[in-house]
Amino acid sequence: MIVSDVVCPFCGCLCDDLELEVVGDRIVRVKNGCSLAEATFMNDTRLPAPIRRTTTGWEEISYDEAVKETADILKDADRPLLYGWSSTHGESQSVGVHIAERIGAVIDNTSTVCHGPSILAIQEVGHPGCTLGQVKNRADVIIYWGCNPTEAHPRHMSRYTTYATGFFVPDAHMERTVIVVDTRRNDTVNIADEFLQVEPGGDYAVLSALRAIVRGKELVIPQKVAGISKEQLIRVAGICKNAKFGAIFFGLGLTMSRGKYKNVRNAIELTDELNRHTKFVISPMRGHGNVYGSNEVFTWMTGYPFAVDFARGIAFYNPGETTAVDILRRGECDAALIVASDPGANFPRTAAAHLAKIPTVVIDPHVNATTALSRIHIPCTAAGIDAAGTAYRMDGVPIRLKKVIERGYPDDAVILKKIYDRLNGGWDHD
Amino acid sequence: MPQGVEVEHKGSPVYRASVSVCYMNPVDLMDLGIEEGARVVLTSRAGRIVLTTWTAEGVNRGEVFVPMGPYANHIISAETHATGMPDFKSQVVDVEVTEEPVRSVGELMEEIGGLRYDRQ
Repeated sequence: MIVSDVVCPFCGCLCDDLELEVVGDRIVRVKNGCSLAEATFMNDTRLPAPIRRTTTGWEEISYDEAVKETADILKDADRPLLYGWSSTHGESQSVGVHIAERIGAVIDNTSTVCHGPSILAIQEVGHPGCTLGQVKNRADVIIYWGCNPTEAHPRHMSRYTTYATGFFVPDAHMERTVIVVDTRRNDTVNIADEFLQVEPGGDYAVLSALRAIVRGKELVIPQKVAGISKEQLIRVAGICKNAKFGAIFFGLGLTMSRGKYKNVRNAIELTDELNRHTKFVISPMRGHGNVYGSNEVFTWMTGYPFAVDFARGIAFYNPGETTAVDILRRGECDAALIVASDPGANFPRTAAAHLAKIPTVVIDPHVNATTALSRIHIPCTAAGIDAAGTAYRMDGVPIRLKKVIERGYPDDAVILKKIYDRLNGGWDHD
Repeated sequence: MPQGVEVEHKGSPVYRASVSVCYMNPVDLMDLGIEEGARVVLTSRAGRIVLTTWTAEGVNRGEVFVPMGPYANHIISAETHATGMPDFKSQVVDVEVTEEPVRSVGELMEEIGGLRYDRQ
């Protein structure tokens, strides 16, 4: 059977034009997808059943037993942490927020170690953004700053920028100018018209220099700024000012390096400056398929996009204090529920190590590094493969993920709802 | 790309090979007297980790690039300077040639108190 218009749930691009060939409960062919999409759909090895760590190994347990024990762990905890959420649908994320409120937990999502700093910057100075459709149809200057779409968002360029034919940019490859800014010469540089190789930690200085030049203050710029010549900076500022429509896409090269959210703030203010000359927009390259959705769901339910602490009975938000890495680093939480993410692999060692010291439960379709640190791992559906649900694309457009096959796993939203009901004294009374 | 393709199979040899790599400028490799594929140990204030070297002309001299993952995180400090975000992109490290083997993701997790489920 051929299923068309399938949405790939892997990265923030949420490409919605895939065609899958399905035989029974297996996907045997992926058309239109990148190699990340092919791996997502065709190399989807799951944990077969819930498992519990024993003193010497692992034992399989029933779903009911796993749910009951998870609810007991959360109920007994003084400072539980609910973390992850970005690879599942909004329906699960919302049950997660309800659980956090019910037990007074901290709930955080993966943007905390991804584009959390971008959100902090947006909270300071706003977000002059637009949908990817606008970029595709209008942008003639594209800047990729501190990101590598060739590897991480392989179809971003063919669907929206360099290779995408747009309404006002009919000959995209010839008409669009691509500028890449990075500390190293990555694969995306190969298609760039201009490459600015910044010294590590020098992004803030380069952004400030570009702002000054756009403002007409180029006389104050030294001959070299963080490894980039004044001549090139003036040339790049000129390209930007002469654009009909410019779009900056930035990645973790800005959010994770020195300056963090101040780098992003400076990039947004450069965008602001450029809007005095032409139309310019800026947007983060979101990683996980539905990380934007976790920010949306958290915000509309609690008022805050990540790192929400319900310990006081009301939603409290203070990044640096209520963020997952900080809570783990301080050894503060005494239980953890990890959903649809892998902090074991993605958190600094000392933060990940605390997960092994406390009762940690993982709800995720796949065995990952965090499995080894957990007490219980409950497998579930994968949103967009065997579960339908809502996800948000990197530009904030909600897209419905399809259920393509049935593999007999329970939806993580259903598992979470059972945990929530049990925390409320419902479900059964054994 | 292999890192992304194997991201849901962290026990796999391909994932391990794609994230346990230390990309270095070829001149730096020459200075250390080793060839691409030899192993180095990176030491930071937060820890030490053995990685396989790989030549990358796009990396400046005096810098190394290690892909995000459990290996890089082994030597990243959890300090976030009140932002929630660790310094993933900037750590000062010492690089030395070593004969020690590159450990598996499971071994790294067991070192911090975990227990592998799939014995890869």
